[in-house]
Parts: sequence; C-alpha cells; structure tokens
Amino acid sequence: MNCERVKAEFPDYLVKSLSQEASTAIQAHLAICGACRQELAMLESAWARLGVLEDAQPSPQVRARFYTMLEEHQVELRSQPKRRVTFGDWVEGWWPVRPMWQFALGLLLLTLGVGLGRSSLKTPKQDGEIAQLRDEVGGLRELLTLSLLQQQSASERLRGVIWSSQVQQPEEPVLSALLQTLNSDPNVNVRLAALDALQKRANIRGVRQGLLQALEKQKSPLVQITLIDWLVESKERQAVGMLTRISDEPQFQPKVRERARWGLRQLS
Amino acid sequence: MSPAADNELMLKVREGDLGKLSFLFERYHRALFNFFLRSTGNRDLSEDLLQEVFLRVLKYRHTFRPDSQFSAWMYHVARNAQIDHFRKHKHEDEVSHDGEDDAFSEIASSGLTPEEQLAKRQETCLVRKALAQLSTERRAVLILSRYQGLKYEEIATILGCEVGTVKGRVFRAIRELADVLNGITGEKARIPSKSPALPHGRATEEAEDQVSSPRVSKGCPSTQ
Repeated sequence: MNCERVKAEFPDYLVKSLSQEASTAIQAHLAICGACRQELAMLESAWARLGVLEDAQPSPQVRARFYTMLEEHQVELRSQPKRRVTFGDWVEGWWPVRPMWQFALGLLLLTLGVGLGRSSLKTPKQDGEIAQLRDEVGGLRELLTLSLLQQQSASERLRGVIWSSQVQQPEEPVLSALLQTLNSDPNVNVRLAALDALQKRANIRGVRQGLLQALEKQKSPLVQITLIDWLVESKERQAVGMLTRISDEPQFQPKVRERARWGLRQLS
Repeated sequence: MSPAADNELMLKVREGDLGKLSFLFERYHRALFNFFLRSTGNRDLSEDLLQEVFLRVLKYRHTFRPDSQFSAWMYHVARNAQIDHFRKHKHEDEVSHDGEDDAFSEIASSGLTPEEQLAKRQETCLVRKALAQLSTERRAVLILSRYQGLKYEEIATILGCEVGTVKGRVFRAIRELADVLNGITGEKARIPSKSPALPHGRATEEAEDQVSSPRVSKGCPSTQ
C-alpha cells in the first residue's frame, strides 16, 4: 500500500469500519511511514477532541410543543369530513403498503381463486348427488331399453338395442333381453345390433357363454358369420367343437361352413 | 428499537395512526436536537428546527417509502429543514458565534475541580468554534458520522451523494478541523500539500483544504 491508498482508508479507520485485512495493511504501512503515522495521529487527535461536545438536553418545552402539535394534527385528522368511500378507496384500504405484503396478498388471492374454482367444479356433496343422478338415469335407460325391446316395430327394438349401449353397467334383465333379441328377434338387423351390443359386454361371464350358444340357434348366415368372426377374434377355444359341427353339418349354408372351417384353422 | 421497528411505526403513522409518532419522537428527539445544536450552536434555533422536523414528518408522511430507512429519511428531512431556514433568514449566521450562548455548558458540573471545569469549557468552546469554521457540507458529514453514529452509506443516502464523496468530505473535514484546532491551541500542525486520491473527491474541495491561518479563539474562556 502506498501513502495515497492508506490515506484513502483513514475515514474508515477513524470509525473503525475497516476490514481485518485492510487494517493489517495500514498498520504495516504506518510502521514504515513516519509521515502517514504523523498525519493519522493528528486526525485521531482531532477526532477524539470532538468528543468534548457531549450530548445536551433539550428543554422540557420541546416535548410539550411536540405533543401539542401532535394532538392538533390528530384532532384535525378526526374532524376531516369523511368523503364518500368508493370501491377504489375500499380496495386501497385493504391493499397493504409494503411490497412483501402486497406479494403475499396477491399469492393468497391467487391460491384462493384457484381453490374456489376447483372446489366449485367438484365437491364431495355434489359428487354424491351426481352419482345418485347417474344411477337414476342408468335405471331409466334400462327401463327404456327393456320397454323398447318389447315393441312390435323393428326400428323401436333397434332403438332399444342402441339405448342399451348407453347403460354403463347393465343389469341382468337387460343382458337377458339382449340375448333373447339376438336369438329370436325376427329382424336380422336388430339381431346384428344386439350382437354388436353384446360383444361389448363379452367380459361379463353370462354374456360370453350366451354368445357361444347363440351360434347354433341362429338362422341368418350373416349373423352366424359375424359370430364366427368374433369367436375367432376373441380366441374362444370353447368354440372349436361347435365350429367342427357346423363345418360338417349340411343344414348350414356353404359359406357358413366354409367360414367355420376357416375359424377352426385360426383357432387350431 | 431496531430500524425495522422504526419503519413499522412510521408506516403506521403514514396510514393515519399519528399517535405512533410519539414513539419515534421519544427515540430520536434528543439525537436530532444535538444534531442541530452541533450544526448551529444555537439552542433555541435547534429546538425550533426539531419541532419543524416532526411537523414535516407528519405533513409529508405519505412520502415515506416502505423500502427506505426511517432514520436516514428523518435526517434528510432535518437537513432540508435547516437549509430552508437559512435560505429564509439569510442575515443569520449558520453557526452561532455568541460566546455567552454556550449551548454545551451543561458539561461543567460533573465532579470536576474549578480548574478542570474551566479547561473543559475552554476546550468545548474551541472545538465548537473550529466546527463553525468548516463549510456547511463538511460540518454536516462530520456531525453525522462522529456524533450521530451513522454509517457512511447512510450519510450518502441522507445527502444524496456517493459513499466515496462522503468519505472524501470526512477526510478533508477532519484534517481541516485538526489544522484549525492545532492552530488555535498553538500546536504546529503539519498539513500535507496534497490530499490523498479519495474516490469522488472534487478539485474544488482539494483547493478548499488549504486552510488559512488559525482563527477564532475570541469568545472562549481564558485560563490566564
């Protein structure tokens, strides 16, 4: 450190705000520089002599004057006519002054908004009501399906089959009615629609078995071939015996027997 | 009370809870009074300026920013109040030279012998008059750092200048004061012909550092 840099540190030296490193460097310089040592001594002496001006006490009137002035301001503030509070004033009144609280309030409002939005979309109570409503609608659809399947009109029965696909978990009467339709409905389109509806429920035990047995009961080659395709597609090994019989029985149409043989090749 | 607590109180005042200002008054009024007393040497004026500061704090409470420090803001208000006063009363001296108006005479009776009391009164008078010879800016930085215990960073905020400028002023102020005091007391002071290269130091202030012959011992008690 040269003399200039040492002197530049004197203000911090006087108020003892130097870092340990800077203090050590200055002490090292002072040890070898008489001029800086002398100047610092002079400055320290003047700094110390300033201490002779001790704190003085203001007169008691200072406090009295202050509190009188404060009271006047408080009275003035209270007596100010309250202007009509607008919505903006109301919001401003709630809005905190400090940025930290402003940020916190903003975050809180955002969280509240998101929470309210989500809860308004889905609440446990509403969940229960919706489930109940859904059950009731399902029941109505089942009744409608059963009712439509009993109708004279083929188109009405077709509608009944279509309605059955909208029942999420159909009860046994609906499934029985669909199997009945598949086996004995006079209209082939209705039977095909019933087959299509039942295929979607094939994971239900009774339905799969019913579809398997339906193959022999069918009279329409179209329905028979559709059934054979489904049995092959679903790799139904229980169908092998039945397909063997169909392929040998002359009462079935050649195309059906041919399809049955194809099915046997696929399953074997 | 911490600076954060001061700010909390001032924010309450700003929001209309004026009564909270009494806590800040009790905490700072004596320090403020002494700031003015050391700056002006005039008790009555210091008390008036003290009142003016708290009046302005109330009047301009809406300008207090939450991210500022109350003490720095208050001293800034104090500086402005003092500047405005002397701007209005141009005929008044900024520092009282009235020897009888010894504002620091309270120190005399603390178990000292009459000789010691006299020596202390004389020293008090000399230091006060030496301070009075400094420029307003130098006197302000010296008082704020030496007596008010403010850091250079805080003083820079109060005066609206760089920290380096404050340090430069402190250096030149204390060196000028040492020169004056040594001259007054008859000691030989060695004043370097060149100031150190302090950050933000100004050439004009460098020139001002060349203090002329010692002045004013007039008005101080004599030991002879």
